[in-house]
Amino acid sequence: MHPSHPRLSRRTTLAFGLSAALAGRPAWAAGLSVTDALGRSVALKGPAERIVIDFNYEEFTAVAGPSGWDRVVGFNRTQWADNRAAVFRRYLAPIPRLTTLADVGSTEVNTFSMERLLSLRPDLVVLGYWSFVALPEQIKQMEALGIPVMVVDYNAEIPERHVASTLALGIATDNEERARALAALYTGKLADIRQRVADVPVRPKVYVELGQGGADVVGNTYWKGMWGRLLEFAGADNIAAGRLPGAGAWGPLDPEYVLAANPDAVFIAGSSWTGRPQAVLTGFDTDVATTRARLAPYAKRQGWAGLKAVRNGQVFAMEHGLCRALFDFTATQFIAKSIFPDRFADLDPVAELRRYHEQFLPVAFDGTWMTRLTPAGA
Amino acid sequence: MEPASAPADAVSSWRATNTRRMGFSALGCGLLLVSFAADVATGPAMLPIPAVLRSLAGLGSDAMLDAIVRTLRLPIALMAAVVGAALGLSGAVMQTVLNNALASSYTLGISAAAGFGAALAILVGASLPVPEAWAIPAAAFAFAGLACALVAGVGRLRGATPELLVLAGIACLFLFQALLSLLQFLASPEALQQIVFWLFGSLQRSSMAKVGIVALVFAVTLPVVLADAWRLTALRLGDERARALGVRVDTLRLRCFVVVSLLTGAAVAFVGTIGFIGLVAPHIARILVGEDQRHLLPASAVFGALLLSAASVASKLILPGTVFPIGIVTALLGVPFFAWLVLASRGRP
Repeated sequence: MHPSHPRLSRRTTLAFGLSAALAGRPAWAAGLSVTDALGRSVALKGPAERIVIDFNYEEFTAVAGPSGWDRVVGFNRTQWADNRAAVFRRYLAPIPRLTTLADVGSTEVNTFSMERLLSLRPDLVVLGYWSFVALPEQIKQMEALGIPVMVVDYNAEIPERHVASTLALGIATDNEERARALAALYTGKLADIRQRVADVPVRPKVYVELGQGGADVVGNTYWKGMWGRLLEFAGADNIAAGRLPGAGAWGPLDPEYVLAANPDAVFIAGSSWTGRPQAVLTGFDTDVATTRARLAPYAKRQGWAGLKAVRNGQVFAMEHGLCRALFDFTATQFIAKSIFPDRFADLDPVAELRRYHEQFLPVAFDGTWMTRLTPAGA
Repeated sequence: MEPASAPADAVSSWRATNTRRMGFSALGCGLLLVSFAADVATGPAMLPIPAVLRSLAGLGSDAMLDAIVRTLRLPIALMAAVVGAALGLSGAVMQTVLNNALASSYTLGISAAAGFGAALAILVGASLPVPEAWAIPAAAFAFAGLACALVAGVGRLRGATPELLVLAGIACLFLFQALLSLLQFLASPEALQQIVFWLFGSLQRSSMAKVGIVALVFAVTLPVVLADAWRLTALRLGDERARALGVRVDTLRLRCFVVVSLLTGAAVAFVGTIGFIGLVAPHIARILVGEDQRHLLPASAVFGALLLSAASVASKLILPGTVFPIGIVTALLGVPFFAWLVLASRGRP
């Protein structure tokens, strides 16, 4: 096996055709078969050279490296540039191509353009699960034109899907070895957390809320996916369990119910959304004072002064981008350590996230990703 | 003026008016063709025009380009035209039979009912035996028909004065809006999002099969209403006078309701609730060609088609590379145009 990083740009590799990397590989002419997050079998002619990707850019970067983006011809800009603005800015330096990369739009805000996508002539379309569900007819059209569609799903927070998504990205971009290493890291870290909390006598009650609209807005909470599953892994008792309509994945809770449930800990998910002046700010370039200042109004919400979580200083902010990512084990560690400090005394979730960035991502780690409202000991 | 020449003058002035009316309709058709061509020629892929023409002519050799032109752009451009025509025609019929300038599929709850049907299908989606892509339009169509039947039923119960029908329509609007809100309240966030997008209206879900269905409904209903054109013109004079002229007002109204429900149901089912064309296109047509239904009905269809087609082009040009929601564009484009027409026609008979 050859080392997958650093590597030549794909175009150069192909142009010369005889590079060592190529010579050592099995015949690509036979094609690749990739099993995606949903267990769908996706046939590729070889490692993809013209990828359109819709979500999970940090996972793609971790697997394929910054040079992996040379293979990408289009992406969903809204999801990155608007929803994770600080993260996007950070990645522009190592991946300057992102500045001008074609935007295929977002299914979430109804701007997805099939015409734009087809005009890019992709040889692989990587879709997040929600886009896969939103585009049944377009996917049929793509498949009729011979464009393989591969689904990645980190949102469901099903460990098997994390692993399958990561391996699929690895095989499709010819970075299988690195993908296996990442998947093994994730699986190991998750197993460690679950083992530490396996025998907790009482699961503390926890409430997670999306801090996109600020304390005046009742944000979504999560149950069957995203934060909901991470709470389960962390040994928490999610007060939203069984309380959300429809599929039960996410939605707001009645504020009165939150008071009645009296959670032991509250986690507000922040991020660097654009145009959300009240939002809890977290992530790159955000100092801890800013995060705490935006988090403070939550503790002053009507009736919240009496909550156990507020009385005991168990109010936290954490980056929302950590709830559907390969490095989400660090958020699970953070939740677990916050509610079971003794069982995780030796473990520093922020340091784990920093290490992950150093090992697998082309950007420096800084800012505030997970913090408590009141400094420890205060 | 000599008395003897007066009838001749009346005839020639009627002919002149007629020619002017035909002229406006022809102008509308011409503009529609231009707009349709622009609709097929533009898009986020920025394809060169000759390549588009080659692909349309079936001479394209590039599968991807053919897919863009023939399976994405062409159905959208055709859909804009047929849906616009269907909404324009149904609005004109509605305004005439209800003798009310504010009547349209919107104001009378037919679109709201279609929206409710679509939302219901989205909500129970997975448990239906039919694929969602067809279940949603089918439910929208069925509920549009139900709303029409409700309004017409009220009319039959109490003797159909137009005022009563309009009131029944408005009651229908509030009923289905409330039911729709209820579904939105019950829906999961994912389904809610889908419902909201559906209500926004979009031509992006078009396909040739869907275009065919709307076109077929339009082609079947147009002759039916045109055959009633004289009777509808008489109805504009009021129910009593129309009856005096031998028009069977109640049956005419019922027949028109069936036509309206078919047209609106088919149009709204596939593209969602695209706003206000049914209200405005007939008014534009009326300002340009007058009350004579033989001219007004086809002209309403033409201007409805033109409005929606132009909106479709504009929706692609506002932010190159992305498609702006068509419902918003239609209103933003149509309202100023409509206001200008209304102001410009003031003082004219």
